[in-house]
Amino acid sequence: MSPWLTKMGLRVKALFQRRRLDRDLEDELSFHLAMREEKLKASGLPPEEATYASRRRFGNRPSLQETCREMWTFVWLENLWQDIRYTLRMMGKNPGFTAVVIVTLGLGIGASTAVFSVVDPLLFRRLPYPQDQQLVSVGYLGPVDNNEFNVASSYFDWRQAETPFQSLTAMRAGGSCDMMVSDTPRRIACQSVTGNFLQTFGIAPILGRDFNAEDDRPHAPAVALLSYGFWQRAFGGDTKVLGKTLTVDEESVQVIGVLPNTFEMPQLGDVDVMLPARLDASLPRSANSSFFLRTFARLRDGVSIEQARERMGPIFAASVAKDVPPELRSEARLMVRSLRDRQIHEVKLASWMLLGSVLALLFAACTNVANLLLARAAARRQELAMRAALGAGRARLMRQTLTESLILGLLGGAAGCGTAWVLLRICISLAPEGLLRLDHARIDLRVLVFALAGTLAAALLFGMAPALERPQAEALAGWHAGGTTRTFFRQALVTVQVAISLILLTGASLMLRSLWKLQSQPLGFEPEHVVTASFTLRHHRYRPPQAQVQFFDELEERLKRIPGGGTFALSDSIPPRGSMGRPYSNLRIAAHPPVAPDGGMVEFRWVTPGYFRALGIPIGAGRAFEENERASGESPLILSATLARRLFGNESPIGQQLDLEDSGHWCPIVGIAADIKNNGLTQPSDPEYYRLRMHNSEHLGSSAVAVFRTPLDPATLARWVRKEFAALDPSLPVTIETLGERVDRFRERPRFVATLVGVFAALGLLLAAVGLYGVLSFLVARQTREIGVRMAIGARPVDIALEIQKHAGVWTTVGVGVGLVGSFALARTIRGLLFEVSPSDPLSLLAAAGVLVVTAALAAWIPSYRASRIDPVIALRSE
Amino acid sequence: MGEKQPNPGELLRDTLDMLILQALKHRPLHGYAIAELIEQTSEEVLRVEEGALYPALHRLELRGWLASEWGTSENKRRAKYYRLTAAGRKQLVEEAAHWSRMAAAIARVMETA
Repeated sequence: MSPWLTKMGLRVKALFQRRRLDRDLEDELSFHLAMREEKLKASGLPPEEATYASRRRFGNRPSLQETCREMWTFVWLENLWQDIRYTLRMMGKNPGFTAVVIVTLGLGIGASTAVFSVVDPLLFRRLPYPQDQQLVSVGYLGPVDNNEFNVASSYFDWRQAETPFQSLTAMRAGGSCDMMVSDTPRRIACQSVTGNFLQTFGIAPILGRDFNAEDDRPHAPAVALLSYGFWQRAFGGDTKVLGKTLTVDEESVQVIGVLPNTFEMPQLGDVDVMLPARLDASLPRSANSSFFLRTFARLRDGVSIEQARERMGPIFAASVAKDVPPELRSEARLMVRSLRDRQIHEVKLASWMLLGSVLALLFAACTNVANLLLARAAARRQELAMRAALGAGRARLMRQTLTESLILGLLGGAAGCGTAWVLLRICISLAPEGLLRLDHARIDLRVLVFALAGTLAAALLFGMAPALERPQAEALAGWHAGGTTRTFFRQALVTVQVAISLILLTGASLMLRSLWKLQSQPLGFEPEHVVTASFTLRHHRYRPPQAQVQFFDELEERLKRIPGGGTFALSDSIPPRGSMGRPYSNLRIAAHPPVAPDGGMVEFRWVTPGYFRALGIPIGAGRAFEENERASGESPLILSATLARRLFGNESPIGQQLDLEDSGHWCPIVGIAADIKNNGLTQPSDPEYYRLRMHNSEHLGSSAVAVFRTPLDPATLARWVRKEFAALDPSLPVTIETLGERVDRFRERPRFVATLVGVFAALGLLLAAVGLYGVLSFLVARQTREIGVRMAIGARPVDIALEIQKHAGVWTTVGVGVGLVGSFALARTIRGLLFEVSPSDPLSLLAAAGVLVVTAALAAWIPSYRASRIDPVIALRSE
Repeated sequence: MGEKQPNPGELLRDTLDMLILQALKHRPLHGYAIAELIEQTSEEVLRVEEGALYPALHRLELRGWLASEWGTSENKRRAKYYRLTAAGRKQLVEEAAHWSRMAAAIARVMETA
């Protein structure tokens, strides 16, 4: 055994036998003394003299005992234990201070960890593909869709061309199909992809094989890959599923493999079954140019997205010339962006906004802790001076303050972990569906560590301040010498806090005002008392158009008869969403020159006559559709007010004829309906026209919405409606909700972001108030004598109070000034999150500054009131 | 930490360590006996301070050169007896050799100069 080990062994043993160690030492030294005493006595000294002489010779016995003892024990461990006990005692004595520090740290760490955990999968975490930074989404960006798309003909061209991509792949845009699972039809998520799809993303099936070129040929025998989840759910993870035949949309499909558990579609769509797209390049270009795809690519090594965009320019221009109708060419743009941007484009800004505000909050929390610890340090100079006077070395004092700061930091960290967990739960329950990847959110260890480290550093840095300073004898007397620099530093900290909290408040007030505008904007229809039932017919069951028409007719008859159902209508879509729009430039007016070519998109819906009454959309001119028109061969048309104005200006549209698709089929205009929100709540509305749903129409899609304006309770009506649907098709899933709920879903995300930012702003404000209060209280405490003197020579309490308020006023004003500049700068970056509110909205800025100033005045009131109540007699006597 | 410097004029620490080891060469002794032995053998020239003796004993024990056990002294008191360990014996041989070399060297210098 090495000597070091022997030593450690003995010491550890001693650690567990401390009492025995103490007793042995005592015995050993006593024995020595006794022996010496006996010897001296034997040499003839009187007993008393002998005792004294032996003790004299022995020297400082406690010190010797201590020296030996320290050899055996871990001194630092004992000191640490002593420091910890001392700290806990001090905390118990100042529960207010302790609570404020721990709560501040807890909130700062907790909130930032929780928010980071939510946004991390969106902004930072790697996507589950090898070399994910090479993956891009590429395609056309036009008014048709929010995301880039492609058409099959262009895709074929790009695959032939010399592109900056090492691999280009595509998937069909749609995504559901019917599958027979043990004789019951199920609606499942299907994704049709080209043969090189998985290769491009660097993914291999965990079971079976990937698609090959053969599988992806047109009319090839159908094969499929199962998603891991679907494989588990539908087949219990049985490996014998390979080679089995499934029936998907009435086609026999052979299972060839299973996707990995971690696989996700690049556009984050659901996937149960993946099929080869089996695109047919031999079809006429016109057919393939209306075949919609999503295209993704992997960049060549070393090629940046900007370079890729540049090199794709000419290829794209050539495709536009071939595949985009001339009237739309001006609006088609090339989009090449990272896969991550494609996935989170709508929530990117909101995520950054949340992250930014929570980091500001964390910073404010650190500042606050620093401030509080500095205040306490000042209050403890006397104590430290006393301890130094009693013989404590500087290292020892430093070690003790370090221990205290660490314990505070650790307690705060523990509180932070708890808070983070709770907040994350709350976030997940509050968050709208649109905030993607929330199922991926978990407490992120890195963030927790980061936040902990930040606050610990703050706690250490400022907690150490009193120990770093040489204890001064003057401090013993309670005189405060040379503390001005630190006071100035603390005032600066408060000013910073005020500035941060103003920025947070401005952000929050902008968001809230924008949310308010969003809530209170006119929709153009009345969602109250409107209940909607939406459904999508299964493909296979209603494949012949006749079956569909029959279903819709029968459904209409049944739903109309529901007692108390009120006004009933059937439509293929419902606001505030639009349908798939058509280019404005497709419209032709009889006996008029062609319309302007760059008109954007026009929404349209197929509706039954009751639609306008059911939704409460006023008919401004002309009339609504009538029931008897539905059997006639006419195609009556109702325009939205905006569309009518754009097409006809001041001319009356009623009675004019419109050709909608350049098809020679002329539709008479019978009425003008008021404008409604039809493009979500935040986007400006598109012009719109309505067509009458005929009894024999072949234009009917498989999706439809039944609308009721009813005095009935929605739950009651829902029961009736479900019964009628079940009578027609028991396996048809129907979603029933009020129109209010549908509209509200469009406000969820802004509300979520505004709520969180609002909460952060409130917390920031609270921290600023605590900081201000702390500094002022400290100031008053330090100036007690001075105030006492001034009051003794005639100052009025009001003067004293005003003076304290003046201090607060100066810092607040500086803080507000800095904060306003910051707010102006930052508000611009969140412009995209605002709805009808300018980033420099004076009302929001004023409101934020007002709230801050009032809070500051309130926070300053308590210490200034206390100062004004100082009794000069007591103040002067106290020292 | 805690190992105090000996006062000038007292035995140097290393020397004291060697003397302690030497004192225990033939039989186990308690602390008092070690001090007495050194003083008597040196004919009262060397005086062992308790303040140095006990830290030295504990240091040597922790280093593994001494082992200790509790026994009963000649006058029937409980006393802590130290004895040399194998490592301690080896250390003594080394230190003794070193010491004689040093002493001889110093003597030579003193005689010739």
